[in-house]
Amino acid sequence: MLEVIKPGVQMCIQDLGRHGHRHLGVSQSGAMDPMALQIANLLLDNPPNTAVLEITVGLAQLKFTTATNFALTGGDLSARLDDTPLTPGWRYFSKPDQILSFASSSEALRAYLSVEGGFSLKAALDSHSTDIQAGFGGINGSALAAGDQLHYESCIEKSSAGALQPPYHKKIRILPGPHCERLSLTTQQLLCTQQWQVSPDSNRMGMRLSGSELVTHQVSINSQAVLPGTIQLPPNGAPIVLLNDCQTTGGYPMVAQVIAADLRHFAQLSAGDSISFTLVTPAQAYQEIQRQQYHLNQLRIALTHRDRSNS
Amino acid sequence: MTQEQTYLLGEQAVVLDLNCARLDNEQQNRLFALHRHLQKQAGYTDIVVGKTSLTLVLQDPTQGTKWLEALLSLWHALSAEDFQPNTHKIPVIYGGEAGPDLAPLAEQLNLSQQDIVELHSSPTYQVKFLGFLPGFAYLGSVPEQLQVARLSSPRTHVPAGSVAIAEDLSAIYPSASPGGWRLLGNSITRLFDANAQSPSLFQPGDNVKFVPQKEGLC
Repeated sequence: MLEVIKPGVQMCIQDLGRHGHRHLGVSQSGAMDPMALQIANLLLDNPPNTAVLEITVGLAQLKFTTATNFALTGGDLSARLDDTPLTPGWRYFSKPDQILSFASSSEALRAYLSVEGGFSLKAALDSHSTDIQAGFGGINGSALAAGDQLHYESCIEKSSAGALQPPYHKKIRILPGPHCERLSLTTQQLLCTQQWQVSPDSNRMGMRLSGSELVTHQVSINSQAVLPGTIQLPPNGAPIVLLNDCQTTGGYPMVAQVIAADLRHFAQLSAGDSISFTLVTPAQAYQEIQRQQYHLNQLRIALTHRDRSNS
Repeated sequence: MTQEQTYLLGEQAVVLDLNCARLDNEQQNRLFALHRHLQKQAGYTDIVVGKTSLTLVLQDPTQGTKWLEALLSLWHALSAEDFQPNTHKIPVIYGGEAGPDLAPLAEQLNLSQQDIVELHSSPTYQVKFLGFLPGFAYLGSVPEQLQVARLSSPRTHVPAGSVAIAEDLSAIYPSASPGGWRLLGNSITRLFDANAQSPSLFQPGDNVKFVPQKEGLC
């Protein structure tokens, strides 16, 4: 069993998200960094969509009451198992009653923790992801609190294994959005000519940005589907990058869409961070998805070989 | 005459945009016919109907260009008659604590509270689309006399079941949430259950009729 001693700023259960219910107003939710989630599961030979813990900021403590292999991925929040420092991108073994603690870091914001075999959870709308606003998924639809317990099957020790994780960037690749014409400017002019700062009122729903030159306007559009990665431009000119917990429809002009492969970088951005946007083509966007898939396949093959030769 | 068009949203979604301020009945029902038709197809993870658009989130992003053409030709091939909506009767307790904005609104519009109940419950509404919260259906259209702006300062807590209006739309809050719509009444009907086989009572295109209950104003 995994017992939450201190949840820190936000700790919640996420998988690859809730799909197929957007027409009913149900958000996607899911891990902000789907790559980190899949690597965490690969390291333990779990199915790729197994639910994991998403730890935000850190300042958290967990206790493994029974033995398990676990994997830690995503940002480096200075995790320790008792006194031993851990490196993200690796799997480790915990004996009963060892304590996993997270400090925090100015460089990273979110870490992911998976256990071998996954946690025992009940799905809501075909997903284990916690939808905190709607109040379902995860455990009781809430972020985890001190005293919460997550059940898993205990298992025997595997040797430690890991690999370098793909790096995080602050240069985000985008595709043009449909409503720039109504603002008489291009995506390039609206987003790609300046640095943007992450505002403090950002969360899993969306990241608000501020910049030195804002294009204010009075254009509104008929509400239409928005997705994680859609960049909206409200009348005040400060762009909002919608993220996993975003609503399903929106009425602000959509000026760009972050390529799917780059959404993971938003998992590590905190208030005050500076980011920039660069335009790419749909062909480049597909290529990046394939590169990520290739990385995961390579890791799977390498781990299979390693685990076989060890047994 | 509208100039409908299709375009890609990012690398994974295709949008049919009907490019007009509002849809007439024929276009609206044709859009729902298209939604129903696509729900029987494969190759997508989500289909979302908007006010004047439909967005298809694709499983395989390399199929985008194919769908740009397919969506347009399906739109032209279908007709409003291909869509048969379900109708829901929703009991509503109007006024008092159940609808705290009813009395002030009556005063503002120079109508009696009964007039407002009569105006609000007379049309058959249609679920234009869902959003904002799971199961939150945007219902059109509110009679013109009753069209008012949102509250200038939204409430931090609107109880579940609240029946509300804003501009030309009405809605029922499926769960408690902050909100700026004007609250006319409350309904006990359960609109959304994440654990149910069919989680949302309302589907895009369904018809909704409000039925005033004798416990409230009617």
